[in-house]
Amino acid sequence: MSQSLRPYLQCVRSSLTSALCLSNFASQTSERHNVPEIEAQTSPEVLLNPLTVARNENERVLIEPSINSVRISIKIKQADEIEHILVHKFTRFLTQRAEAFFILRRKPIKGYDISFLITNYHTEEMLKHKLVDFIIQFMEEVDKEISEMKLFLNARARFVAESFLTPFD
Amino acid sequence: MLLLDYQNVLIQSVLTERFSGAPPVNIDQTVSDFDGVTFHISTPDSKTKILVSIQVKCFNELVKYGAQQVLEREYGPYVVAPENGYNFSVQVDLDNLPDDKEARDDLIRRVSLLKRNAMAAPFEHAFDEHHKLQEEASKFTSEEAPQGVREGGQVMAIHYREEEAIYIKASHDRVTVIFSTIFREETDRVFGKVFIQEFVDARRRAIQNAPQVLFRTDPPLELQGVPGVKDSGNGEIGYVTFVLFPRHLTRQRRDEVISHIQTFRDYFHYHIKASKAYIHSRMRRRTADFLQGKCNPQYKLPTKVLRRARPENEEKERKTASGRTFKVQGS
Amino acid sequence: MASHTPAVVMDNGTGFSKLGFAGNDSPSFVFPTAIATKGPAAGSGGSGSGRPAVANKPSYLTGGAGPGGHLSMKRGTEDLDFFIGDEALAAANGPGYGIHYPIRHGQVENWDHMERFWSNSIFKYLRVEPEDHYFLLTEPPLNPPENRENTAEIMFESFNCAGLYIAVQAVLALAASWTSSKVSDRSLTGTVIDSGDGVTHVIPVAEGYVIGSSIKSIPIAGRDITYFVQSLLRDRGEPDSSLKTAGEIKEEYCYVCPDIVKEFSRFDRDPTRFVKHLVTQPGGRKVSVDVGYERFLAPEIFFNPEIYSSDFLTPLPTVVDGVIQSSPIDVRRGLYKNIVLSGGSTLYKDFGRRLQRDIKHLVDARIRASEAKSGGARSGGLEVQVISHKRQRHGPWFGGSLLGQTPEFRSYCHTKAEYDEIGPSIVRRFALLGGPGGS
Repeated sequence: MSQSLRPYLQCVRSSLTSALCLSNFASQTSERHNVPEIEAQTSPEVLLNPLTVARNENERVLIEPSINSVRISIKIKQADEIEHILVHKFTRFLTQRAEAFFILRRKPIKGYDISFLITNYHTEEMLKHKLVDFIIQFMEEVDKEISEMKLFLNARARFVAESFLTPFD
Repeated sequence: MLLLDYQNVLIQSVLTERFSGAPPVNIDQTVSDFDGVTFHISTPDSKTKILVSIQVKCFNELVKYGAQQVLEREYGPYVVAPENGYNFSVQVDLDNLPDDKEARDDLIRRVSLLKRNAMAAPFEHAFDEHHKLQEEASKFTSEEAPQGVREGGQVMAIHYREEEAIYIKASHDRVTVIFSTIFREETDRVFGKVFIQEFVDARRRAIQNAPQVLFRTDPPLELQGVPGVKDSGNGEIGYVTFVLFPRHLTRQRRDEVISHIQTFRDYFHYHIKASKAYIHSRMRRRTADFLQGKCNPQYKLPTKVLRRARPENEEKERKTASGRTFKVQGS
Repeated sequence: MASHTPAVVMDNGTGFSKLGFAGNDSPSFVFPTAIATKGPAAGSGGSGSGRPAVANKPSYLTGGAGPGGHLSMKRGTEDLDFFIGDEALAAANGPGYGIHYPIRHGQVENWDHMERFWSNSIFKYLRVEPEDHYFLLTEPPLNPPENRENTAEIMFESFNCAGLYIAVQAVLALAASWTSSKVSDRSLTGTVIDSGDGVTHVIPVAEGYVIGSSIKSIPIAGRDITYFVQSLLRDRGEPDSSLKTAGEIKEEYCYVCPDIVKEFSRFDRDPTRFVKHLVTQPGGRKVSVDVGYERFLAPEIFFNPEIYSSDFLTPLPTVVDGVIQSSPIDVRRGLYKNIVLSGGSTLYKDFGRRLQRDIKHLVDARIRASEAKSGGARSGGLEVQVISHKRQRHGPWFGGSLLGQTPEFRSYCHTKAEYDEIGPSIVRRFALLGGPGGS
């Protein structure tokens, strides 16, 4: 892990841990409803201040806490066109399978690549520190996966090009 | 599979089966090949006479560059009048096959290469022209050669697909083959760029004797003034130039080189798709890993599935949950 | 470009894949749905079986990511080093390659393998640029929608195919029966009896929609008939009783008789009914195998399963009758009237005739019983018709070919542009091809 990544992840971890302080909260606007307030945005008084943790202009995490739900949006590093495409493909692949991930939001927030929505029901059902671990692990792995895929693509391209040109030799 | 076959597998397998002495049957198959080529394999008159017809989009252009002659040279006695709706037909009579096995195999091979041979004409034409020019040029030093010799032959354009074309130009020291490529898909375009870059670099790095490959998004100099050459302006159309040097153009190598270079576009697209398939399988694996927390055992997303699988988690979790909200979900 | 090219029709079954172009009357390629990859074969007959945790997940999530699949192992070009179909079987006999069957029980289990299987089918065998062609794929009845989405994801994202239609095999088999002269109206209501190598399904279809709750499967199919022939040959001590010989005898000599007892005595009276089958054994030795009662006994296991199996005893006609009786009452008449055969194990001579007779007996007996109970009411009778036709062997493929060449086929497909806009969920719904409003 590079030197600047560690404090970045550490910062996300502690901000997230403190944000994940959720309680059951019935909707104030419609009776017998219980919705994630951060999504509904109907009662400004239960929304807390959103927080951005940025490593640089290309990598940042937006944490939007509220009384019963937290929305975490991640912008994944995209140095060039290839990484952009790969990130896009990968996040789309994951959101396509959002059902199995419970906390994955089916659509990312504008300006970010992938979003998670954690509600009080999730924190009741699952261990809070494990949820945080999962997000952190996800951030680590995604970067690794993207760069590995990029390496693969270059290696494959080289191999393919050489295989095509060799018969001319 | 790394390289694409030059021949059509279906024609090959049908003929191999028929030639092996299996009882004659009716055949009527219309099949496609790359680049919008259509084949029709049929037995219109009797079960023993197999008619193979080909329809190529750019056949008129190919004829201009001598396709008819090339095909007649290749298929000589087997050529018949083209079937209605097709450009060229050959007919093989099962009762009248060559006797020895090798000649039969050769016939199968040749018929299954119908598309390759049809497309080969402009290449052969260019190769011949190159040899002619080379001979002429050898009479002069490079400065005083007459204009015609220095500039080389006409650019031959083959619009083999709706939006893509091959341009071939012969000159005294080389034959230039230019493929125009177009990508409709953003992902393909980006992947394609990576691939092309490696084609361009390969010669510098590893294979010194390979043809030189150049890539640009505006029409190269050779194509200036050729009708129908578009400059999309946004880099959507790319031009891949292969420069074949005299060492690639010798008589012995020429058939192989022509076959091989024809497959460039499909090879290129095949591998873009194959790498997407590979990336898919990587993503599947990674997704599975995320779900199981397998890549790093100390992290586990306590999903319901996992919780059920681990009773020791159950206890701990219940304490947390009940301590927090008094609400124990009896899952 | 895709405006005038024929649609590609791919019917990937558990045993065999049928590939070809719409408009033809037979598939261009028929080969085993098998893929041989570098490394050992899948362990104990299943993908991901080495790790119980995987089994809890539906396969569309893990993609059948097998055991021992470390990412680091897959860095190179191993993913290009594989064979499919007959070449796969040949390669698996040699060293270094293991064979896998990506489809189990009709459904795709290993998407990694399936994706590569398709890639090779398209580029090596069919030789088409998928961007230029529309594709018609098939799926078994009751295929989960997630599987469809995965298929679409592969077809559109990896291959950029121009358009895609996924049809249910049973519905295509019904469409294939339209070529039979017995079929007067082109309806998509009927009962499909699909008997391949591994399993036999009885599938009721109403107006193009499968009645999922009434589907029944029978664990007797082509493979069992071959085993049965083999066991008969062994009992008699024939000089060659290999599975291959048994298979040849099954395909060449077997037929369905109207009555076994009579058929036995007919054989005893007329010795010409016994035939000899010549086998060339590996090594060039030729032996002759006597073929006797198995000619009619083998297919008989559909009608009297007790002669072969001790755990499944319901005859096929009874199963068919039960399936139709469990379907909604308003479609039963249509289901009885149009019983369509599909698959290689329905090709025995007179199979359809016997089935029709047996079902008719069951139906008539029931009608008589209810007439007696009602005390005098007369029934108008019920038409039972079993359709056999020439394209039975590759029924679903042929149905696909038939529908794929219709001019309106393309308008039923989902295109790449639609997929890009809406996402994989688009393939959860397809307009009914060839249904009311169609041709």
